[in-house]
Amino acid sequence: MGAARFWVVSFIVAVALLLLTRGFISNEYYFFAAYQVLQFIVLATAWNILGGYTGYTNFGTGAFFAVGAYTAVVLHKTTSLPLPVMMLVGGVMSGMVGFGMGYLTLRLKGVFFAIATLALAIVAQTLIVNWDYVGGSRGIYVIRPQHSPIYGSYIQYLYSLMLALTWISVAIARTIERSTLGLGFNAIRDDELAAEAGSVPTLKLKLISTTLSGALMGMSGAPLPYYVTYLDPASSFNLSYAVNSVAMPMIGGMTSWIGPVIGAVLLGTIQQLATVTISSALNLLIVGVLLIVFVVIAPNGIVGLVQARRRARIR
Amino acid sequence: MAASILEVSGLGKRFGGFVALENINVTVATGERLGLIGPNGSGKSTLVNCLSGALHHDSGTIVFDGRSIDGLPAYQRTRLGLARSFQLPKPFRSLNLLDNLRIPLLYTVNARHGMRLSDGAIGERCHALLADVGLADKARRLPRDLTQVEMRKLELARAVASAPRLLFADEAMAGLSPSEIEEILAVLFRLNEAGITIVLIEHIMRAVMSFSTRLIVLVAGQKIADGAPQEAIRNPEVERAYLGE
Repeated sequence: MGAARFWVVSFIVAVALLLLTRGFISNEYYFFAAYQVLQFIVLATAWNILGGYTGYTNFGTGAFFAVGAYTAVVLHKTTSLPLPVMMLVGGVMSGMVGFGMGYLTLRLKGVFFAIATLALAIVAQTLIVNWDYVGGSRGIYVIRPQHSPIYGSYIQYLYSLMLALTWISVAIARTIERSTLGLGFNAIRDDELAAEAGSVPTLKLKLISTTLSGALMGMSGAPLPYYVTYLDPASSFNLSYAVNSVAMPMIGGMTSWIGPVIGAVLLGTIQQLATVTISSALNLLIVGVLLIVFVVIAPNGIVGLVQARRRARIR
Repeated sequence: MAASILEVSGLGKRFGGFVALENINVTVATGERLGLIGPNGSGKSTLVNCLSGALHHDSGTIVFDGRSIDGLPAYQRTRLGLARSFQLPKPFRSLNLLDNLRIPLLYTVNARHGMRLSDGAIGERCHALLADVGLADKARRLPRDLTQVEMRKLELARAVASAPRLLFADEAMAGLSPSEIEEILAVLFRLNEAGITIVLIEHIMRAVMSFSTRLIVLVAGQKIADGAPQEAIRNPEVERAYLGE
């Protein structure tokens, strides 16, 4: 399937999903839960553009996510922009942070880069904690608009927005994967020196990758203040975002766009179920256990298992 | 066409206090087969790294095809037509052989002026390149399925995929059996006949002597001989470097 066709087909799937869920489900909780799963699809897909395709592990997902969220908070206090615009601005802000992180790759590779991204998250959190205008460490209340801009309740509106962003993220990832750019990313992941010798402009491509990855994460964070209505640094920078956005592509498979989607749907749903039926504290334990299981039995994720089986059949 | 494709003058490179290369002057003529030898640690690979852009030299100038390439990043040098293969093969491990070759084609040949190839043409070119080095039947395999000599061939094919004018073959034959060395030499001869100037960096004297039309000897970061292969190895300084006093 060509890239243009994938955009159209995935759009139709997203619209169908939207109409079906909005048409047949009336319980608000399901939209609340589905929003979480969609948000994780975006985060996992965005993480995978840098982590899976380009081979740079980012533990700073929380920072990018929170930059998007706090951009929305500032815009909420200063302007009356519609939420989709806030998401765009949040994406631009976290994209800039991503661009800066891209320059780290000049000096840091592998595990050292990963540690630096973790440090980046801590620095960003410290800045927010000490910034009183956005609530500092005690957090801030964000009052939702009384009416949803479109038909339905506000949570349904948020769900619809996140579904749109999910469509865009997945389609972008799929387009990159089959493009010259994606092949260049893979070359960097496999061997940067050889990539450079093969005429791949490695720095430029790494900057594209970090910027794009960061921007998508930020966009998914922008609606958060309206989703939770109370935002504080501890929850918006929560380590669970970083852990999940690493674990989901790893469990789904990092070489293909569908991997993070599978991983996010699987882990996201399990966590939602566990939160309601058992306890919310169990979430990270589930992620941890599943991650260990997959690293041992299927290091290339679910997609890797399928690919290996297919390759074995060809031989 | 210029008579010399590469002119290196006064090239120097230091790592901290260690002088790896000192005042290297080398001219490579277009179409030539140049051998570059020297004991371990004499600076051969450092020279290749400096010329291909993997390292930046500290002093001197490099002129490629009439144009100074000092300070240009490696990918731009490859784009200009200066390719290299690596001493230890560095295939793109997660990509099949076709995609390994597709990368330099997409990023080099397609990035040059007026050279845009269609997807189909790129695919054909990749298959042709693989056939040239005898890997046609493994096009969809991953590099991990290759033997050592096949890996070297892939390495050469990938360097050639960028349609270079000058190729540095960095120890393309180390660790291979005599018959495998012949295979690689045959590939290199064919490339040279096709118009690619080749600089062969090698330890295996038999291979270097049969391939090169000129020989350069590096010892401890300095060029101590430059000339016809038979004369160069009879140079007293070269004998001293290789055999001791």
